[in-house]
Amino acid sequence: MGPITLTVVTPLVGALLLALAPRSRDRDVRAVGLAVSLATFAASLWLLASFDRTQPDLQLVESFTWIPTIGARFAFAVDGVSLVLILLTTFLVPLVLVASWRSVDDRLVGYTAAFLVLEAAVIGVFATTDLLLFYILFEFTLVPMYLIIGIWGGAGRRAAAVKFFLYTLAGGLLMLVGLLYLQAQTGTFDYVAIRDAIVSGRFVLTDVQQAWLFAAFLVAFAVKVPLFPVHTWLPDAHTEAPTGGSVFLAGVLLKMGTFGLLRYAMPLFPDATTTFAPWLLGVSVVGVLYGAIVALMQADVKRLVAYSSVSHMGFVVLGTFALNDVATTAAVVQMVNHGLSTGALFLLIGFLYERRHTRMIADFGGLAKQVPVMAGLWLLVSLSSLALPGLNGFVGEFPILLGTFATSRPAAVLAAFGAVLAALYLLWAYQRMFHGPLETDANRTTTDLTRRELAVMAPLVVLIVAIGLYPGPLFDLVGPSVDRVLGEVAAAGGLR
Amino acid sequence: MTGTLDVSFAALAPELVLTGAALVLLLVAITRGRPQLVLLPAGLATIGLGAWVVVGGDLVTGTVLAVLGAAGPALPVVLPGRPTLVQAWGAGLALAAALVLTVADLGTVLGGDGVPLTATPAFGGSLAVDGLQLFTRLTVFLTTLLVIPLGYGYLQERRINRAEVESLLLLAAVGMSVLGGANDLVTAFVALEVLSFALYVLAGLARRDRRSQEAGLKYFVTGAVASAVLLYGLALLYVATGTLAIPEIGAALTSVLVPRAVVVAGLVLVVVGVGFKVALVPFHFWTPDVYQGAPTNVTAFMAAATKAAAFALLLRLLLVAFPGLQAWWVPAVAVLAAATMLYGAFAALAQHDVKRILAYSSITHAGYAAIGVITLTRAGLSATLLYLVTYAVGTVAAFGVVIAVERRRRGEVTLATLRGLGRTSPLLAGILSLALLSLAGLPLTAGFIGKLEVFRAGVDAGFTWLVLVGVASSLVAAFFYLRIAGMMFLEEPTDVDGPLADRMPVLSTGLSSAVAVAGALVVVLGLQPQLLIELAGTAGVLLR
Repeated sequence: MGPITLTVVTPLVGALLLALAPRSRDRDVRAVGLAVSLATFAASLWLLASFDRTQPDLQLVESFTWIPTIGARFAFAVDGVSLVLILLTTFLVPLVLVASWRSVDDRLVGYTAAFLVLEAAVIGVFATTDLLLFYILFEFTLVPMYLIIGIWGGAGRRAAAVKFFLYTLAGGLLMLVGLLYLQAQTGTFDYVAIRDAIVSGRFVLTDVQQAWLFAAFLVAFAVKVPLFPVHTWLPDAHTEAPTGGSVFLAGVLLKMGTFGLLRYAMPLFPDATTTFAPWLLGVSVVGVLYGAIVALMQADVKRLVAYSSVSHMGFVVLGTFALNDVATTAAVVQMVNHGLSTGALFLLIGFLYERRHTRMIADFGGLAKQVPVMAGLWLLVSLSSLALPGLNGFVGEFPILLGTFATSRPAAVLAAFGAVLAALYLLWAYQRMFHGPLETDANRTTTDLTRRELAVMAPLVVLIVAIGLYPGPLFDLVGPSVDRVLGEVAAAGGLR
Repeated sequence: MTGTLDVSFAALAPELVLTGAALVLLLVAITRGRPQLVLLPAGLATIGLGAWVVVGGDLVTGTVLAVLGAAGPALPVVLPGRPTLVQAWGAGLALAAALVLTVADLGTVLGGDGVPLTATPAFGGSLAVDGLQLFTRLTVFLTTLLVIPLGYGYLQERRINRAEVESLLLLAAVGMSVLGGANDLVTAFVALEVLSFALYVLAGLARRDRRSQEAGLKYFVTGAVASAVLLYGLALLYVATGTLAIPEIGAALTSVLVPRAVVVAGLVLVVVGVGFKVALVPFHFWTPDVYQGAPTNVTAFMAAATKAAAFALLLRLLLVAFPGLQAWWVPAVAVLAAATMLYGAFAALAQHDVKRILAYSSITHAGYAAIGVITLTRAGLSATLLYLVTYAVGTVAAFGVVIAVERRRRGEVTLATLRGLGRTSPLLAGILSLALLSLAGLPLTAGFIGKLEVFRAGVDAGFTWLVLVGVASSLVAAFFYLRIAGMMFLEEPTDVDGPLADRMPVLSTGLSSAVAVAGALVVVLGLQPQLLIELAGTAGVLLR
């Protein structure tokens, strides 16, 4: 068993253990959940250690037969992009589980098991090289996430869970038709084989075929990202999900969309990629600005962060389709950054909500005097999210704008306004919540972060600062793989 | 075809076992209290028949028959003195034997050095022993075997567990499996009537329940009309081609000498007649009422097994008799399939009774299965067969849970009834959700594999538009399946029902084991479908 399989299987084993003992004490369930997720993180570190940075293509290949008649396999391999996303996933899950120790006590076994299963599926999505298995896992993530939102979420959780489920299913099913068509044409579900055949010109799709297939894949991924105008499930899902669900959704699940674009939509349909790219730049810019403007107007701070996700993920797609190594590499880095800073924001919102049972900005005020540690962290994370130089957001967002400027000046200029707006809505919210007079009794009695909560925040803060000051290793890890993808798009005569 | 009648009982061994068992069970019921009077001679006769079959060369069949014969008289000694329980066990054992025979046949197909069993005619060509028949047998016997324990306690509680229930189920299964192999028009029609008559009675089993009465009557009336239409169509085909044998009709239709108008009229009537049986829109309208009114175990049986058998007939007629008329029926059936998928899904949205929702869902699924039919490829045929099995296990599991809840409620199961079931009995709610996810075609369940294969065959054959319609209807269907699952897991139990709300659904050994097996099949076929896909693939090659 290689490092990838181990990383996928560990959380599954943990979930199975929990399922076998459904009546365990809450303490034990929490301990098992944490232990398993840490073991998974350790396995992913082994994966990192085995990874050869100089080699840009998919590596550490593992393959097991599954349904030979259809040609579907349990095939895994990672490149730099999938590796960092796997690490992000395994890094966030222990934090999410510990963060939920106080807030979740109903059906705790189910909650923990759902997260572990979800983790395994997401790691599988990032690591598989079999198109069918990719679709299966991509779609399967809906089930645990639906349960997490629907069972442990807020007041409007049912509608939000259904909306989340149906939106994503709709996109996914179109992708299924697309990949069945691709399989009918090529006779295989093996991603590497199809990609190599396309890159080498042994297999040619006409422009029309490419356009339709690209569109089918794009819809699935655009819903997941989510790209304007199919983002409308996100604010509800984010707002209603329990804290852990929001963190995981923003941190990891959205990345499946941008990952899919980069891994599948671009190299498989290079001509369509270049044809669609200008349109996608336009749509991303609209998403960046729209998300930011709507975020500005939110009264609920969790909703505000949800809309900020629409804006930030717009940046990621912008960078991806700028199609030059500066912007596209930075887009991948920004995926990680968004996962860290938005995840951290959702955690803080969750901690505050546990104390106050409200998320309305108007209900707070002057909290900085009362909860200085939380306020400080909130400010730091907000600054990271609005891309202050020296923190992680900057090292992603700035090269995205820089690279996009080379491809399309108007897109870069307009998107830059999104960055300005981000400063506005995040700092304004911070100001209204933490500064000003400390008036109401509720605000005067709010308590600061506990040690457990600090322990959850600490690793995030460390990474936020570390990536901000020393982003080199992350870029080195991602760069070669992104260059390779861009090379594949270019090889098909796509790049100007 | 030869002049002499070839009586190859081995080809009909499973059906013979079941028919024999049905008759014995009826006799036992008649001589209630003194079963030995019947069982002993019947057992001896079965042993004799088995010996004769062994002498005839078929060792497996003969041995099974002989063992059954020997075991028969011992049954009342071993089993408790409850006549209906003995019946259920008897029927179950007979079905198990039939299933073993079928699997043994399929084993020969896949066995050894990969030499496939050749499709052979039996009974002078009236019966085709081919992949379609073997696979239909598999689906039908498996479903029936699951349905018998599923309904035992339920019928008992409703006091409608009459002596004839098991016999009727067995006879219906016989009709279905013969239908799967029926290779001439008369055999097909007789088999269809055998299964229909048994089902008419079963649907109206709960005589004191108005809904069940209505179901029985409605099913009978619409079924009779459908049979008449079908018979008219078959007659026209005979008139036009001068033969009853389905392959010969296929051959005759390629010639220009056949009167086109008559043949096309026959085709239309046949499609309409079989359309009724598989419930294709617009011939589906009886389904919701009948499915809702019939005792739930009968509904499960109708939804899962009848559909498989009727599809076998549709497949054989369209692919063997009518390939020459593809230009006529392929577009027509494609439109019917599209309408069926969409209508079933949308109509289910407005329903609140769970049985009705599942009835509309079964309509939708007929549309999906039909995609495989119109592709005119072996892959499509295999996909339809596979789809029907995956649909059957999911449906049986779903109705099984409905039965458990119904037994607690002693009344109909609406969406509101299921509120908070995930809290009161998480396992049961989990299995129902699993079945629903499978019916919705979500990955890692049996239903996904069925849908995948059907979609794949559709895209391969160039029916991408139809697959896209299927996608749209899957989405709508996912909504109402999800609504049921959400009702169970996302809502808390209310105390509208008073103390009943906290009470667990009633589970008997039979019910829980059947539901567990069906649920397990949903998972296993979803995770490791290779064997079934291979079987279906071989079955597709073996047609004709």
